[in-house]
Amino acid sequence: MKKRGHEKHYYLMLLPGMVWLVMFSIVPMFGILMAFQNYNPGAGLLKSEWVGLDNFKYMFQLNDSRTVIVNTFIIAVGKIVFNLLVPLIFAILLNELRSMRYKKLVQTVVYLPHFLSWVIMSTIVIGIFGYYGVVNTVIGMFGYDPKLFMADAGIFRQLVIGTDVWKEFGFNAIIYLAALTGINPNLYEAAAIDGANRWQLIRQVTLPALTTTVVLLGVLSLGNVLNAGFDQVYNLYNPLVYSTGDILDTWVYRLGLQNLQFSLATAAGLFKSAVSFVLIFISYRLAYHYADYTVF
Amino acid sequence: MRRNMATLLSVVLLGLSLTACSGSNEASNNLKASSNPTSDTATNTKSNTETPALSGDDLAFSKFPKPVDVHIGMVVDPTDKTLPEGDSVSNNQYTRYLKEKYNINVIVDWTAATGNDFKQKVSLTIASGKLPDGMVVDDRSFMTKAASSGLLYDITDLFQQYQSSQVKDIMASTEGRAMENASYKGRMVALPNITVDTDGVHVLWIRKDWLDKLKLPVPKTLSDIEKTAKAFIDNKMGGNKTIGIAGPSKNSFPYSTFLVSSNNMGGFDPIFGAMDAYPGYWLDDGNGSVTYGTLTDKTKQTLALLADWYKKGLIDPEVGTRDNVGDPINANQAGIFFGPWWNGGYGNGDSFKNDPTANWQAYPVYSDDNKWNVHMKTTGSTYTVISKNAKPDVVKAILIMNNALVRDEATFDLSVNVGWYPLRNVMAAANETEYEYAELLKVLKGETNPEDYNKPNSLYKLMYADAKKVKNVIKPPFEDLNVSNFSTANFGDFQRLYSIMIGDRPFTTIPIDKKVYSVTYNQTETMETKWANLKKMEDETVLKIILGQASIDSFDKFVKNWKAQGGDEITAEVAGFLKK
Repeated sequence: MKKRGHEKHYYLMLLPGMVWLVMFSIVPMFGILMAFQNYNPGAGLLKSEWVGLDNFKYMFQLNDSRTVIVNTFIIAVGKIVFNLLVPLIFAILLNELRSMRYKKLVQTVVYLPHFLSWVIMSTIVIGIFGYYGVVNTVIGMFGYDPKLFMADAGIFRQLVIGTDVWKEFGFNAIIYLAALTGINPNLYEAAAIDGANRWQLIRQVTLPALTTTVVLLGVLSLGNVLNAGFDQVYNLYNPLVYSTGDILDTWVYRLGLQNLQFSLATAAGLFKSAVSFVLIFISYRLAYHYADYTVF
Repeated sequence: MRRNMATLLSVVLLGLSLTACSGSNEASNNLKASSNPTSDTATNTKSNTETPALSGDDLAFSKFPKPVDVHIGMVVDPTDKTLPEGDSVSNNQYTRYLKEKYNINVIVDWTAATGNDFKQKVSLTIASGKLPDGMVVDDRSFMTKAASSGLLYDITDLFQQYQSSQVKDIMASTEGRAMENASYKGRMVALPNITVDTDGVHVLWIRKDWLDKLKLPVPKTLSDIEKTAKAFIDNKMGGNKTIGIAGPSKNSFPYSTFLVSSNNMGGFDPIFGAMDAYPGYWLDDGNGSVTYGTLTDKTKQTLALLADWYKKGLIDPEVGTRDNVGDPINANQAGIFFGPWWNGGYGNGDSFKNDPTANWQAYPVYSDDNKWNVHMKTTGSTYTVISKNAKPDVVKAILIMNNALVRDEATFDLSVNVGWYPLRNVMAAANETEYEYAELLKVLKGETNPEDYNKPNSLYKLMYADAKKVKNVIKPPFEDLNVSNFSTANFGDFQRLYSIMIGDRPFTTIPIDKKVYSVTYNQTETMETKWANLKKMEDETVLKIILGQASIDSFDKFVKNWKAQGGDEITAEVAGFLKK
């Protein structure tokens, strides 16, 4: 009894979060009904005509849906993998630096891009890879013809993944850096006394100590496997790269907001959510299994 | 863990909840200001004796006895800095004018930035089913979607009663096309936008000063253009990065289409026209059948030509991926682009700021047999829609606001952008620009006086104001105007008059040999579900062919797929329009 009284203010502190959750996540869930209707805004959710799974059937009949799902999957998986590995390597390298001031400087500089939105970043990226951009200037020095990168469907995915990793790796490295500071220095000393060189220290001490973190982050990011990053792709793509660059979110955007096919867009959104839900569930089990991590 | 639940849905409902809880606080402010005595006592007493006595223009400009609140959703230009300090979107010279003259309180429920933001907001508002009393939407499919969902007020009768004589004349100048455009299933559900016909007539814009330097003639045909563009590049007229012909950006299109049939800056419309091709238009074959213009052999040939030009480096290498059409034009790197009358002047102001000698001139592009072929636009592409739930007084207020704008736009102090006028939806006589071109030339030559145009309620509402300005902006000689004839002292006046006198010169003075209209400018039922897919296929194929990423043979495959994936079905629907 005493304990409960003690916890009251915690519940109070939870309240704003719960209200937010109900307002923006629970209540809008009813909108899912649209996916099974031929939604008529005038009639509203309750009186619109019910069409069962027609919207889903139609969605999978469209040529686009397959391309879009494949694109989304490839881009998202690429981002997950590289957003896991690049920050890891970067964090380990940074950890090996002797000069604290230089280390801090590098850390600050590389995570700055994280704070710029894609609306701004896209202009920079388009500039860098433009016809007269830095990349083409360098290529030109070696005697190659300039190439229109932004119009090349063959490299659009790589470009999306690469620029995303470039933008985020500094920020993503923070968790690794935190984990690195948690490693007991005694382990390094002991290994050093046994005659381990720096490379061996990294392999035998640092990496094993980071395994749980890597597994945990990897498993948790599974839920993002259909999140390829709307704002990035939307700001970078053009009709020339639809074949490799169009993702679920941009497709839903064009369907729902530009072509007013509310029901179809909702169906596509629901499909994405359903797949994500399954993956989150799996990742939760995996996280528990491998990293002994539980949320609830 | 990130939650991915029905992102779109949450946004939709978020939009809904936001629209529901704004406004109201502005109302009280405006009410306080309402006790101003009005100068216009005549109208005042009249309307207080209630309406039946009024008719015609008295009714069209009547003042409400009690304040009427009009809730609106509004587009704003975030870069506009013309509102004086202390004024706001719901309290500025235009809203105060409406308040004082007509007792209309404008309450702005929400605003959104021009472009995609606004489209998104409108789309969400329609999805939520809760429209503000009035808003101006910029796509016909928004209007039809709202109308078919039963969200719009049927203004057929009230419009007949409340339109001013000016509005009536302007509507009449379109020969019924505007009314049809604003109607859904025979009922008028929106105030149409009526823009000048010349908005849809795309011409060649070229740097005449570059031509003069190279001692080249003005190009007339496509092969002339090819030679000229090559000469511009070879002589590095715009520096090392000279672009022969500027083209569409990642957000604009290679040609205007039946859905967006005008104002395509940087498209290749005149090139298609010169090849007698009209992609994006539904063409009447004359035998009861309809062809989609993109599928024709002539379009294919034009695409092959464009691909050839691109390969030769005559077209902007970054076409289709650029952020903004205007960039190379304003940076004075490009010597040629295509667009309607306002693209030079209004459309490329920075080009003149960067180089005051940039002598942009407009000309038609001719086919090899010396014909000027033009595809024509629909009457207008924006719509003032009124919510079904609006009270009759509110509907009347919105109609009066429109009448007032048409009558008084020229008298406003335009140092505050007229875009701040609530529910501004342009209504201009279809031939306004041509009329102004001819009359302004008369004023310049001293054949008429500006005061001759001081006619209240004139169909050409901006004429008098322009006539008074024109002599300050344009210096003689008046034959063959060049940029050197213009004063840029008042840049806004310069832009307007440059666009009229230079940009509209071809359309006013040169007869068009062939005008092509689309069988329809609207979506059919099947298009609602299938057009997005077909359009994507078309955009992708066309750009890929131009950029040489796909061979011209892929065109045939596109045609086949297009027909199979719903194109044939839609073509049949469009053919149905012919029989009516």
